[in-house]
Amino acid sequence: MSADFYKPMRLNEIDSSLQEEIKKVCDINVELCMECGKCTGGCSNAHIFDYTPRKIVQLVKLGAEKTLLSMDALWTCVSCQLCVDRCPSQINIPHIMDYIREKAHRQGVKTRRINVELFHDLMLNSIRKTGRVAEAPLMLNFNLRSRQYMKDAVLGGRMFLKGKLSPFSPVVKDIDHVRRLFKKIADNREG
Amino acid sequence: MDIAYFPGCSLHAMAHEYDTSTRLVCQRLGINLYEVPDWNCCGATAAHSLDHHLSVGLSSRNLALVKDMNLKQMTTPCAGCFNRLKTASVELKQNDDLTAEIEKLAGISLTGAKEVEVAHTLQVIMEAVGMEGIKEQVIKPLNGMKLAAYSGCLITRPRAIAQFDDPEQPVALDHLLQALGAQPVHWSHKAECCGGGFAASDTDIVVDLGGQVLEAARQAGAEAIVAACPMCQTNLDTRQRAIEDERGIKYNLPIVYFTQLMGLAFSYSPRQMGLNRLLTSPTTLLRSRGLS
Repeated sequence: MSADFYKPMRLNEIDSSLQEEIKKVCDINVELCMECGKCTGGCSNAHIFDYTPRKIVQLVKLGAEKTLLSMDALWTCVSCQLCVDRCPSQINIPHIMDYIREKAHRQGVKTRRINVELFHDLMLNSIRKTGRVAEAPLMLNFNLRSRQYMKDAVLGGRMFLKGKLSPFSPVVKDIDHVRRLFKKIADNREG
Repeated sequence: MDIAYFPGCSLHAMAHEYDTSTRLVCQRLGINLYEVPDWNCCGATAAHSLDHHLSVGLSSRNLALVKDMNLKQMTTPCAGCFNRLKTASVELKQNDDLTAEIEKLAGISLTGAKEVEVAHTLQVIMEAVGMEGIKEQVIKPLNGMKLAAYSGCLITRPRAIAQFDDPEQPVALDHLLQALGAQPVHWSHKAECCGGGFAASDTDIVVDLGGQVLEAARQAGAEAIVAACPMCQTNLDTRQRAIEDERGIKYNLPIVYFTQLMGLAFSYSPRQMGLNRLLTSPTTLLRSRGLS
């Protein structure tokens, strides 16, 4: 955890631009946070987060964008939606997490959980190519790319015997439509 | 009742038995499922984690396809797909600017897509048929089988999107199991997370969270866990050995889809319901109740 987090806060150094940005883009008002901590109390993974949901909302208010973009919690949030449902102010924390993660990904901010990001990327690649996800080829590709060659080899054998691993990759007929969506989004980003 | 059916990628692969059992059970209940032609992946965790527009865009194409079928309702048995499709549907309805952006990016009109209503198959069965209607079809009751009804996260959460059952104390699945003659146990983890999409990318998370779910079910005296999502089923079934190794406890808990149990109660054979495809075998349990 960053030591800076515990330094005394200088109010005249606080930047509210991130808070404004999240209000504008995501329609989420973090000012409604009462710091009750119910989000953290319900969080499935708070015990392994570097910053808990309540702190994340506070970091948004403090404009600590750098800390948020590089925090480990971005890549260990399971999106179980407990925090938003428990929040008395209905602050959509999972949406904030998605927004910041998307930003970190675009800016190429390094994460310790490279495998989580890699898996997402490979999955989206599969959808771009075929329109669907072929589970077994995706797993195999992931193990190769993450250099975990023997990962789940025994489990894979058991699943194969149960007919759970199909080697085929289904393809959407109108794949051009799906690819267009990917391309336009990529163009938009660059433009 | 005619309804568009979105199986999703898992039901065409690992969770094939969930697809087969859903189709047979719905047919018996008079719910006619029409598979959305040429559907694409909902984008799952990957899309919403990395790109909001992509996530909404992928689901929007599916919603538009339903409109082309002249149907107004779509159902999916996958809690993950349900969450993505319904989130997109709600966002399109509420946000005209976003709709216009997605129309431009995807190159399709979403006017019709906005009218499509999305529901998880559990919701459709409970609302269109209900407990009494299910009871009428039961030929072989489950004889007091002690089951942990596991709703997981996304069938009922977030409440503003799912608009079904209670987000943390769901009861629909328990009621359904009661109608089949089973005895749902009272337990603490019916709406906790199994680790979701981290099965491959960060297995430790699934072993940790899934382990808590298995332990809670064991403590409540459940003989099996009943899932309504291919991710929940796969995580708890395929990681069960790793969880047992870590915790030093032998759980041996079959993780069964609710539709498989419905099919059994409607007198389909265990093989027809694909119960032989589960890694943790339910055979001993089924024999003990005269169902195999």
